Amino acid sequence: MKKKISFRQKFFSVLDRDNVAGYVFTLPFIIGVIVFTAIPFFTSLYLSFTEYNVLAPAKWIGIQNYKEMFFEDKLFWTSFKVTFKFAFIQVPIKLTVSLLVALVLARATRLTSFYRAAFYIPSLMGGSVAIALLWKQLFSRNGVINQILGIFGLPNDTSWLGNPKTALGTLISLGVWQFGSSMLIFLASIKNIPASYHEAAIVDGAGPVRRFFSITLPMLTPIIFFNLINQVIGAFQAFNSSYLITQGKPLNSTLYYGVHLYNKAFDQFRMGYGCAMAWFMLLIIAFFTALIFRSSSAWVYYESEGK
Amino acid sequence: MKKRIFAILCAAILPVCAMTGCGSKPASSSSPANPSNAGSSSNTDSSASKDTSAAGSNGKTTLNILWWGSQTRHDLTTAMLEKFEELNPDIDVVMDYSDWGGYWTKLPAQVAGGQTPDVFQMDYAYLSQYANNGVLAELDGYIADGSLDMSDVAENIIKSGSVNGKVYAISTGTNAPVMLYRKDILDELNLSLSMNPTMSEYTAVSKAVYEAAGLHDTYIVDCSATSFRQYLRNYGLNLYNDNATALGFDDPKYLVNMWQLALQAQEEGWGLMPGDGTAVSAFDSMVLDAWSRFQNSNELQAYRDSTGKDIRMVMLPSMDDGTTPATFLKPAMFWCVGADSKVKDAAVRFINFFTNSTECYDIVGIERAVPISAKMREYVTPSLDEVGKEVVEFIDYVSQPGRASPLMNADPEVHQAVGELMSQYSEQVRYGEITDLEAAARQFMDEANKIIADGVKAAE
Repeated sequence: MKKKISFRQKFFSVLDRDNVAGYVFTLPFIIGVIVFTAIPFFTSLYLSFTEYNVLAPAKWIGIQNYKEMFFEDKLFWTSFKVTFKFAFIQVPIKLTVSLLVALVLARATRLTSFYRAAFYIPSLMGGSVAIALLWKQLFSRNGVINQILGIFGLPNDTSWLGNPKTALGTLISLGVWQFGSSMLIFLASIKNIPASYHEAAIVDGAGPVRRFFSITLPMLTPIIFFNLINQVIGAFQAFNSSYLITQGKPLNSTLYYGVHLYNKAFDQFRMGYGCAMAWFMLLIIAFFTALIFRSSSAWVYYESEGK
Repeated sequence: MKKRIFAILCAAILPVCAMTGCGSKPASSSSPANPSNAGSSSNTDSSASKDTSAAGSNGKTTLNILWWGSQTRHDLTTAMLEKFEELNPDIDVVMDYSDWGGYWTKLPAQVAGGQTPDVFQMDYAYLSQYANNGVLAELDGYIADGSLDMSDVAENIIKSGSVNGKVYAISTGTNAPVMLYRKDILDELNLSLSMNPTMSEYTAVSKAVYEAAGLHDTYIVDCSATSFRQYLRNYGLNLYNDNATALGFDDPKYLVNMWQLALQAQEEGWGLMPGDGTAVSAFDSMVLDAWSRFQNSNELQAYRDSTGKDIRMVMLPSMDDGTTPATFLKPAMFWCVGADSKVKDAAVRFINFFTNSTECYDIVGIERAVPISAKMREYVTPSLDEVGKEVVEFIDYVSQPGRASPLMNADPEVHQAVGELMSQYSEQVRYGEITDLEAAARQFMDEANKIIADGVKAAE
């Protein structure tokens, strides 16, 4: 009898603890992470050391995949360079554009909410096939872009997606066009800057440019930092625009790392090699993220630290 | 107290969620398709979700069937499988399908997950890979005991589904690669293309069409492994040798000739430059960019339906100095049985139904190409519409002696890698990055032979 009570008491006292409810609530999420993230994550690490064509069991081949990647596969380094070029051009342009648009939209006018929605729409349609179609039509030899150039008397027979010099730029413009989400984040934090700072600066005689560089920009650095990391990671993982519009052509000038990985894994059925490529990209992304984090103490301003 | 009730409630809900989660998993993974537009397959759906083991709770055998195709095929196949169920009341069919591109990620995923469908479509390009990896069941025994009746099928067609002397796959019908073209445009321009054109005839028409209508050629400029294979056929060669242990040619001139023709096409303007195409699908391409296209004979109907243009077909153009035709007869696609299937007898019954029953062809016609059984071919021809008759006549035309080159042996497993290498070289040639064509051809041959040799070594 005594034992039973103590068990009941124990049981209910466990249930009464605050953490238990917390764990119970998070359990679905934890199970999700284990089944859909952790297990595939470590499986892919194992597979990166194997030759695996999906149909037959994986065969352990040690670091052979990595060796081939670094020393034999020419397209690996091509795709690596293309991805770096893509990331280093697209990310700064995209951040600048989204910041400028956010500054314009921060003023309260009647149409602000309409414009906000209008600028965000491209981000929603992102990697869809419809956009791939639109971009192909816009930039084709007889497309709208060339027709507009023709009106201004500029050379109008460029095949934007067929020329290895312009193809990547065309895809970057598609990426920049989808600046909506970082713009919204900028917009929210611009509105959070206390008006009293600006008022004080105006009293001191500061013009709009001076106020932007001395108040708005420093106050935004944490958000720039956040957007920068997000965009860099996104750019390294770019896949859709190339896969849907150019398939890596012409002359591999738009062969993103992700597209090369996909070709190896799903066209040539070399899942092991694909996993090895994915793990190398993980290290690259981790390296750049760490670099940005390290540098942040030099340029990111947190109000709470009172620097 | 409230908190306690809450926690108990959560704890109680959780296992329920988990159980339903697990419970629905096998059912959903073996019958994931049947999208709502499949329409009339509700009876199979309900039985599948109740039970997925070989023998259902209602004593029925569940048969999983997977195929790729267009919407036309999905509709016809669904109707045909319902008829099959009606005639075989002890079998419940679970249908699943996808388009061509999705199929080759979907099928491997199911194989890797131990959920290989009982019956599935297979393409000639992948047959040896799947057979060699033990995914496919041998069918010789069923043919021998008569449960798979092949008595009306020509020996060479049965052989086309075999790997290393054993039959693993049954052809769904006979097909020929063809050149589709826009007859409406040629008529407008007072041009014509003969049934068995030479390359110089084809290029002359291409040039004339481009100059008058602005539409391009996509076949000459393709320069892929597939189109290169057609060139080689003109000289009685294949891309690979008979054992698929090396390339099937050792003279760089074939590659050089193909590249030179493509360069001529793009210099004169009638070959479509890469990146200039605005079409998103192959169907659009014949409206927006090109006047002709390399496809298969059974696709004529689909191309006419989706473009609304008067599209006709002729044999592939043969090189003027060629000794054998570029066109050949081939199995359009195969039905295969999963090696681990628990219901092989039912699977074979379905394939037999597809091969030998009039009820099947009343519904599907020649959508999966011209039937392999001579009896069925005779049965189905009179009831076909105009397009169907055109396709059968075309196959009859190609079947006459001397019109077709033989079906070559299956490709090595590294074929995709060789194809990618070929595309890389061709693109550099077309962009003028490579000017010494002969040296490039030799270099390609060396690298391709190395890939094939490595593949052979890895398989041992």
